[in-house]
Amino acid sequence: MNRSAPGTLLRILLPALAGVAVGVVLQLTEPRVRLYAAIAPALLSVIIGLICTAALVVRVVARQRISAAVAAAEAAASGRAAAQAAQDRLRFLARLDHELKNPLTAMRAGLANVDQALGRLAAVDGARTALTSVSGQADRITRLVSDLRRLADLEALQIEMAPVDLSKLLGEVAEASAGLPGAADRSIRANVPQAPWPLPLVDGDRDLLFVAVQNLVANAVKYSRPGDTLEIRASEDGDAVLVEVADTGIGIPADEVGQVWEELARGRAARAIPGTGIGLALVRVIVARHGGRVAIRSREGQGTVVSVWLPVPGRSRTASAVADLRQRRDTAGETAP
Amino acid sequence: MGGDSGRPVVILADDDEAVTSNLAPFLERSGFTVHVAPDGEAAAGLIERLDPDACVLDVLMPRADGREVLRRLRAAGRWLPVILLTQVGESSERAIALDEGADDYLNKPFDPYELLARLRAVLRRARPGRRPLSASPSLRAGDLRMDRIARRAWLRDAELTLTPKAMLLLDYLVTHPNELLSRERLLELLWGFDFPVGTRAVDNRVAELRRALGDDPARPAWIATIPGQGYRFVPQVEESR
Repeated sequence: MNRSAPGTLLRILLPALAGVAVGVVLQLTEPRVRLYAAIAPALLSVIIGLICTAALVVRVVARQRISAAVAAAEAAASGRAAAQAAQDRLRFLARLDHELKNPLTAMRAGLANVDQALGRLAAVDGARTALTSVSGQADRITRLVSDLRRLADLEALQIEMAPVDLSKLLGEVAEASAGLPGAADRSIRANVPQAPWPLPLVDGDRDLLFVAVQNLVANAVKYSRPGDTLEIRASEDGDAVLVEVADTGIGIPADEVGQVWEELARGRAARAIPGTGIGLALVRVIVARHGGRVAIRSREGQGTVVSVWLPVPGRSRTASAVADLRQRRDTAGETAP
Repeated sequence: MGGDSGRPVVILADDDEAVTSNLAPFLERSGFTVHVAPDGEAAAGLIERLDPDACVLDVLMPRADGREVLRRLRAAGRWLPVILLTQVGESSERAIALDEGADDYLNKPFDPYELLARLRAVLRRARPGRRPLSASPSLRAGDLRMDRIARRAWLRDAELTLTPKAMLLLDYLVTHPNELLSRERLLELLWGFDFPVGTRAVDNRVAELRRALGDDPARPAWIATIPGQGYRFVPQVEESR
């Protein structure tokens, strides 16, 4: 629009200039012709110019309206498509869950029967081992089904929002991580700023946020080697608090980084490590339910950093809002366990 | 009460034959006499005829689902222990199951040994001929009073301000007094599923309840911690009015 301005101006002025030119020529060549005869074409030209301008403006506005309407329609359509896809996925998960739970219940009960019967024939060769193995696999399918169900539930769950002190929460995550298998062989550090001021509070469900960060740390431990370093960091980033979990672990191949947030995504390197491929999908859903976003950067063989942004309520306001947040932090500190 | 052999009689109602044909022998071998019903009407008929000690009802069944059978039982003043096999993972759904007077519930697919444990627990808790705590609208435990329908609680005369999850937890504790409740089970109650690493979520809610009740974890009068296992609600619980 701006780039066509000189052309537009010329088009507007051209008829008027032409009118003036005609008038001047008439005045010079035919001095006996009265002045109005010279002015009339100029006036006519001005009117034509105005009409042209009006036509031009109408065209431009109409074009804008149409393209805005088209864009809105496209956005609405893609939004509808996304919502529809999400709905379809939830419905699929619910159906899968429904169709698998009875057979799984029956299988587990059947295995318990065999277990009881075997109890009396303890010496049956290999039978106990086979039973233990099959039971383990049934438990694994059960876990997978309930994990998928959990994801579907989370997307629909009503979340209890309350001010959450992330500094405290990250400290607890770091503390809890010490109990993870393999954690003792890795160096796990938490770095949460206290100066010049502590992290602002975010609104959220403390339990869910804990699970999200804990999942990231558990992943970092799982996909790193003894001697590797893990860092849990937090900082203010514009209107959000940025939480990062970084490791010097095995990393993710470039062609797999884009898929890690999907359910059941299991990278080539991850296949040797037990897991269901739900963890990061769970993190993504929890963060999205809090109005935040996630990102991941990774280099194969060097390590991975997962970033989570959680919005700070009322951040765009100034000192009074900060004071208010501090106040809420104090109150939260009193009521936190 | 009890079969001729002294074994507790249990009605198992589920429309999936694969489930009942595997669960029934397991329960039989575990010391129960089991009668299987393929739908809600059949279950209601068996309960009428056999006067069982407990029943296990699937919620999704043809011809009267589990909830419908439970509602009819309670409306008729029948207080035998009922375990619902729920289908929906959400905790609110469970809260509804408890409001309707189920003594307990299990989410499919469950561990059969867990069903066994809960059956034994509801039988232990059963108060023959009297309404179970889980079907009572109003309960009292020492200075604590609970209106379970309105989801409100008072300590002496002061109303407790609790988060919805803490209230749900308190409700479950009060209706399952003197019973060892594992963190995993309470987590499932609160969230409708078990978190991979979340039992501390339960500890946080218990801490909230202890603060509200003024309980000292070192010398608990309300909620005792059973190290490495879970929690137990300490005081005696009675129906109030």
